[in-house]
Amino acid sequence: MSSHPKPEPVGDVVGASVPKPDAREKVTGRAVYTDDLRVPGMLHGVLLGSPHAHARILSYDTSLAKALPGVRAVLTAEDLPPVDIGAVIKDQPLLARGKVRYVGEPVAAVAAVDPTTARRALELIRVQYEVLPPVFDAEAALRPDAPVLHAPRGPGHPNAASHIRLIEGEPDGAWAKCDVIIEDVYETPAQQHIYLEPCSTLAEVDPDTGRITLHTSTQTAFRVQAITAEALAVPMSRIRVLVPRVGGAFGGKVESTNQPITAALALATGAPVKMTFSRTDDMTMMRSRHGARIHMRTGATRDGRILARQVRIYFDTGAYADDGPFVANIGSYFARGPYRIPHVDVECWCVYTNKLRAGAFRGFGNPQIHFASEVQVDRLAEALGMDPIELRLRNALETGEKWLGGAPVESGTLHACLERAREVSDWQRRRQRAPPAPGKRRGIGMAAVAHVSGLLGSSATVRINEDGSVNVSTGAVDTGQGSDTALAQVAAGALGVPLSQLHFSRPDTDTSPYDWCTGGTRTTFTVGHVITQACEQVREQLFEHASAMLQRPVQQLELRPGGHVGVRGEPGTSVSFGAISGYALYVAGGPILASARWLFPAWQLDTQRTHVEGLTSMGNGFFVFAAQVAEVEVDELTGHVEVLEAWSVHDVGRVINPAAAEGQIQGGFVQGLGYALTEELLWKEGHLLNPTMGGYKVPGALDVPRAIHSVLLEHPAGPGPFGAKGVAEVSLVGVAPAICNAIRHATGANIRRIPATGERVLRELLARETQGGH
Amino acid sequence: MSDKVSLSLCLNGAEHALTVAPERTLLDVLREDVRATGTRRGCDEGNCGACTVLVDGVPVLSCLTLAVRMRGRAITTVEGVQTGAELHPVQRALVRHGAVQCGFCMSGIVLTAKALLERNPSPTAEEVRQALGSNVCRCSGYARVVEAIVSLGGRP
Amino acid sequence: MRYAEPETVEEGLALLAAHDDARCLAGGASLVAMMNAGRVAPGMLVSLHRIPELSDITETGDGLWLGAMCTHRGVAAEPRLRGAMAVVRSAAGQLAHPAIRNMATLGGSVCLADPHTELPAALVAASARAEVAGPGGRRLVPVESLLVDGFRTSLQRGELVTRVFIPRGTDGAVGHHLRFSRVSSDYPTVSLSLVLVMDGDTCRQARVVVGASGPVPLHVDAADQRLVGTRLEEADVAEAGRLLVRAATPLDDVRGSAEYRRMLIPRLLGRALSQAREHAHV
Ligand SMILES: Cc1cc2nc3c(=O)[nH]c(=O)nc-3n(C[C@H](O)[C@H](O)[C@H](O)COP(=O)(O)OP(=O)(O)OC[C@H]3O[C@@H](n4cnc5c(N)ncnc54)[C@H](O)[C@@H]3O)c2cc1C
Repeated sequence: MSSHPKPEPVGDVVGASVPKPDAREKVTGRAVYTDDLRVPGMLHGVLLGSPHAHARILSYDTSLAKALPGVRAVLTAEDLPPVDIGAVIKDQPLLARGKVRYVGEPVAAVAAVDPTTARRALELIRVQYEVLPPVFDAEAALRPDAPVLHAPRGPGHPNAASHIRLIEGEPDGAWAKCDVIIEDVYETPAQQHIYLEPCSTLAEVDPDTGRITLHTSTQTAFRVQAITAEALAVPMSRIRVLVPRVGGAFGGKVESTNQPITAALALATGAPVKMTFSRTDDMTMMRSRHGARIHMRTGATRDGRILARQVRIYFDTGAYADDGPFVANIGSYFARGPYRIPHVDVECWCVYTNKLRAGAFRGFGNPQIHFASEVQVDRLAEALGMDPIELRLRNALETGEKWLGGAPVESGTLHACLERAREVSDWQRRRQRAPPAPGKRRGIGMAAVAHVSGLLGSSATVRINEDGSVNVSTGAVDTGQGSDTALAQVAAGALGVPLSQLHFSRPDTDTSPYDWCTGGTRTTFTVGHVITQACEQVREQLFEHASAMLQRPVQQLELRPGGHVGVRGEPGTSVSFGAISGYALYVAGGPILASARWLFPAWQLDTQRTHVEGLTSMGNGFFVFAAQVAEVEVDELTGHVEVLEAWSVHDVGRVINPAAAEGQIQGGFVQGLGYALTEELLWKEGHLLNPTMGGYKVPGALDVPRAIHSVLLEHPAGPGPFGAKGVAEVSLVGVAPAICNAIRHATGANIRRIPATGERVLRELLARETQGGH
Repeated sequence: MSDKVSLSLCLNGAEHALTVAPERTLLDVLREDVRATGTRRGCDEGNCGACTVLVDGVPVLSCLTLAVRMRGRAITTVEGVQTGAELHPVQRALVRHGAVQCGFCMSGIVLTAKALLERNPSPTAEEVRQALGSNVCRCSGYARVVEAIVSLGGRP
Repeated sequence: MRYAEPETVEEGLALLAAHDDARCLAGGASLVAMMNAGRVAPGMLVSLHRIPELSDITETGDGLWLGAMCTHRGVAAEPRLRGAMAVVRSAAGQLAHPAIRNMATLGGSVCLADPHTELPAALVAASARAEVAGPGGRRLVPVESLLVDGFRTSLQRGELVTRVFIPRGTDGAVGHHLRFSRVSSDYPTVSLSLVLVMDGDTCRQARVVVGASGPVPLHVDAADQRLVGTRLEEADVAEAGRLLVRAATPLDDVRGSAEYRRMLIPRLLGRALSQAREHAHV
C-alpha cells in the first residue's frame, strides 16, 4: 500500500461536529423515503412465501389469482429468465425455481391496483409441493447423509458454501508447551438488522425505451444496478438506480433486496410498481447475521504468552450463500485475534441449511469470532491469575508485526486503546466490585477489538462551479450514518471552502461515479480517500491558473479558507475560486474538474508462512483497533443482565465529525448489546417463531446503559482522508464478549452462548451453585 | 353505517373531508389519502413507535388507530410541529445534538418528546427514557436523543 | 366491514344483537393489530368510545367502579386506587409501553383475555367483578370466572362489559404488581399481582395471582393459605411458590421456556412479597 503525504485540512471544518444537512428534513417529516413515493398508475407488489422449509415444486396454478379484478401480473419462476444471482456463488433465483429451501422463500409475485387486492390474490395461488427432508443445523448439514440443498459445485460436501483452512507454526506440537489450556464451544445467534424502514422499491419502466428506473432503499446503487441487470438479463445501461433517504441498513441492504423482482413486475405490467415489505415479510424473506458455532482452544505459558490456538467455525448461511463466503473469510482471518500467537490452526465452514439466508451485518463475521476469542482470552487470564487487560497488552500485535496470513499491521494502536480504556473506565477500582443492589451481582468486563476498514472500489468527481462553489459526487449512499456530512467535510477541508458552498450529490447510477457499497466500515475511509485525491488534482488545476493570474510560481501558492488561492506570506494577494473558475472557463484550460478512483489492494497472504486454503479474496482493508468495557448488574433471581455503564475507546485516526463518530459508536454499542442479551431469530421446524418486532426484541431507551462513553483516539495513518480510519462496524464487534466477561466477573458464570438471556444466565448460575462454585 | 364512512379529520389544525373504509388505520389514511408521509410505517403492530401521532395532545400509535375513530379529535403529526419556518425546540435540539441518523424514528420521537415537555417542562433523563419507551431507534443507542430532550428542560 | 358508534349501552347492545359477526372496539390496540395481520376480519365493529358511562369512575363506600373504556393511563393516574386496589393501578402503570397505555383499555384487556397480559391478573388479585350488560340486563361476574381460557371469556354473544368494580379490601392491605420481561417494552415473561395484609411481621391475608403462566391468571387458594399466619419466611414463600408452580401450565415461547417460567414463579414471589411489604411500611 502506498503511503500518501498527509496534507493538513484547510480551515476548521474537519473535526467539527457540524449538524447533518439532512437532519432538518428528518425531524420535520419532510425527508422522503422510498415508500413515500407515489406515481400515477402505480401498482403494488407483494410476494408469496413458501410454507415449507424444503420441498420440490410440482406445479403452480395462478389462474384464479390472475382472474381477480385489479390483479395485473402474477409471476412465478416460469416467467423469469433462468438466472441465479449471488455475490460469490450464483445460487439464488428471484423466485424459487424447482424447489423451495426455506420457509418464507418467495415463490410467486403479484402486482395489483392496491395492496389489499394484491394480498388477496396471494391466497388464490395454488402451488403443489413434494416435501423433502430438511436440515437446520450447520454441523448436521455436513454429515454425509444430510439432505442436500443445492446441486454440487465441486468435490467437497455439497452443503459447504465455503471451507477455509489457515495454519501457521506447528499447532500440533505447541500444546505440550502450554501451561494453561482453555477449550470451549461458543454459539452466536442469527441476529437481524431491524433497520426501522422495511425494504422498499419503486420500479418504473419507460414505455418507449424500456429503461427501468429503480428508486430503492439500499446501501449501494451500483450493486443494485448490476444485480438487477443480471437477474433480468438486460444490459446494465438499461437500468438506473436512485436512492431516496434510507431508514437504516446495517448490512441488510448491501446485496439486492426486492429490487429485481419489483423490476420484473414493472416489466411484466408495463406500469410502475412499488413493493414495500411488511415487517414480517422483511424478517422472513430478507436476511440475518450468520449464526455460528465455534469450537476454540487456546493455550498459554504461565507467564502469559499465548502460544497456540485451534479454531473450528461453522457459519450457518441458511438456504443461500449471499455474502456468506465473505463473512467466513473475515471470521477466519480474525480467528487468531489481534494477538501474536505463533501456532494457529483455523478451519472454517460456511454451510447451507433450510433457513433464512444469512449475509452481511455490521461486523461481517467478526462479532462471532470476537465473542469466542475474547471470552476465551478472559478465561485464560483468569486461569493464569492475571488481569485481563494485562494479558491482552502482553500479547497484542504492534505496528510492523504480522497478522494471521502475513499482512503487516501498519498502525498497531491496540495498546493505546487498552490503556486508555483501563484509565477512563477506572478499571482497577471497578474490578474490586462495587457493592451491588440487593439480589444483584455486579461486575466489569472488557474486550479488545480489531477490524478492517476499507474494501473494494470507489471513485469521486469534484468540480468547481463558475462562482467558485464546489460539487462533489461519489455514488456513496448515506444510510443515515452521516457519511454525506463527513465526506462533505473532507472535501471542504481539502479545498478550504465552507460547507455552505459545497454540494454533495446523492447517488444516481446515470451520473454518479462508481462506489461499491456503504458497508465494511469503508465509506469515510475509502470514499474519503478518493475525494482527497480528486481534490488534490483540483487544487493543482486551481494553482496552475492562479499562477498565471497572479504571475507567481505555483510553489509560492497556498489554499486559504473561504475558497481562495493566495501567495504564501502575502496576506493581501489572493484570487478567489470563482475568479479562477471564470478564467478557466473563458480564457484558458476549460472547466476545473477531476476524478479519482481506487480499488483497495487484495489480501496480502504470505503462503511461505501460512498454509492457506479456500480464502476467496475480496480486497483487504486497513486494520483498526478499539477496546470496549461494560459494567453489568446480574439479577440473581432471574438471570436478567443490565448494562450499567459502558466505555468504547476507538482509534479513529483522525476525527472528521466527532458527533457523528460518537453517534455511530453509541448506536453500534447498543446493537451489540442487543446481540449480547436479547436478539435472536428462533425457529421451530424451519418456521420462524418471532418474525415481528414484538417477538424479536431490540433494546429500547430503558434497556441501555445510562452512559456510553465514547473515546476517540487520533493516531492518523494510512490512506484514509487526513489519516482517518473507519469506526462504523467496530463499535459493535467487542460488545458481546465485554458484557459476557462482565457477567463472569460478577457471577462466575461462563457464558458460551449468546444472547445471554435471563434464562441462560440463570441456568449457568444454578449449575455453578450445584457444583459448589463461586 | 355503511361500508365507507365520511368524516372530517382535524389534522394539524386544518379540517380534511375524507371518505374512508372503516377498517383503514389512521396511519394508512394519513400516508395514502392525506399524503402526509412524515408519519412512518415500521411494524403495523404497535412495537416500533415510528407511526406515533398526538391525539388531543397524547401520543398514540396511528397503526393501531382506526381513522373513523378520529371524528372530533385533534390530530398532530410531525408536519404540524413546526411553526412556519421555525423549528420546534425539540426539533432544534435533536438537530443540534447530532441525535439524527437514519431519521426513520424521528417523527415519532419528536411527537413523543413534544407531548412529554408539554406535560413536564423539565424532565429528568430517566423520565425522558420512560417517555421514549414506545419509540425504537436502531441507529443512535438513544444517548444523544435523550441528551437533546433533557437539554430543553435545563435539568442535568 | 361496517362500523357504528353507539352513544348508549342499549344502542350498543342492539347493534351487537343485530349483527352476527359484530365485535366491540375498545382501545383497538390489540384488535386493530390483529386486523392488520389479517388474523380477524369482523363484519361489524361497534366502537364503544362515545358511550359516556363507559368512561366513568365512581367511588362507593366499599370500592371503586372503573368504566370499561378507562385507558391504562387513566387507571394508572387514579389516586383513589389505594391499598388493596393499588394492585390494579400498579399494573396499569407498568404494563407494555407508554403509547399502548395511552390507547388500550381496562375493558379491552379483560375481554381480550390474553394470557400474556397483566391487567386480568391484577384484577383477579384485587377480587374485581365485571359488570356485564346483555339483552337480559346487567349482571356482576367475578373477573376470575369471566376468564375461562386463553383468549376466551364467559361473555355470551351480544354481551359487553360496561365497568369493573374494584373492592376496597381490608384496611391496611397493600396491592402490588411485579413484572419481569426480556426488555422493558415487552410482554412479561411472568408477572405477579398480589394483595397482602400484614399484622406486624405476620401475614394476615394474601392473594397471589401469577400472569403468563397458564391460559388464565393463576390463582391457587392453597398457596394464599400457606402464607397466611406465617412471617413470610423463606420456607413459607418457597412452599407457597411450589404450590403455584404445581398448578401452573406455562407456555414455551420466545420469551422463555415453560421450565424457566416455573423457575421464576417462586423466585419472583419472594421479591414481590418483600416489595409489597416495603410499600406497607411507607
Ligand atoms: C404492542 C402491544 C403491547 C402490549 N403489551 C402489553 C403488556 O406488556 N402487558 C399487558 O398487560 N398488556 C399488553 N398489551 C395488551 C393491552 O394492555 C390490552 O390488553 C389490549 O390492547 C386490549 O385492550 P384494547 O382496549 O386495546 O382492546 P381492543 O383491542 O379494542 O379489544 C380487544 C378485544 O376485546 C373486545 N372488547 C373490548 N372491549 C370490550 C367490552 N367492553 N365488552 C366486550 N368486548 C370488548 C374486543 O371486541 C376485542 O375482541 C399490549 C398490546 C399491544 C398492542
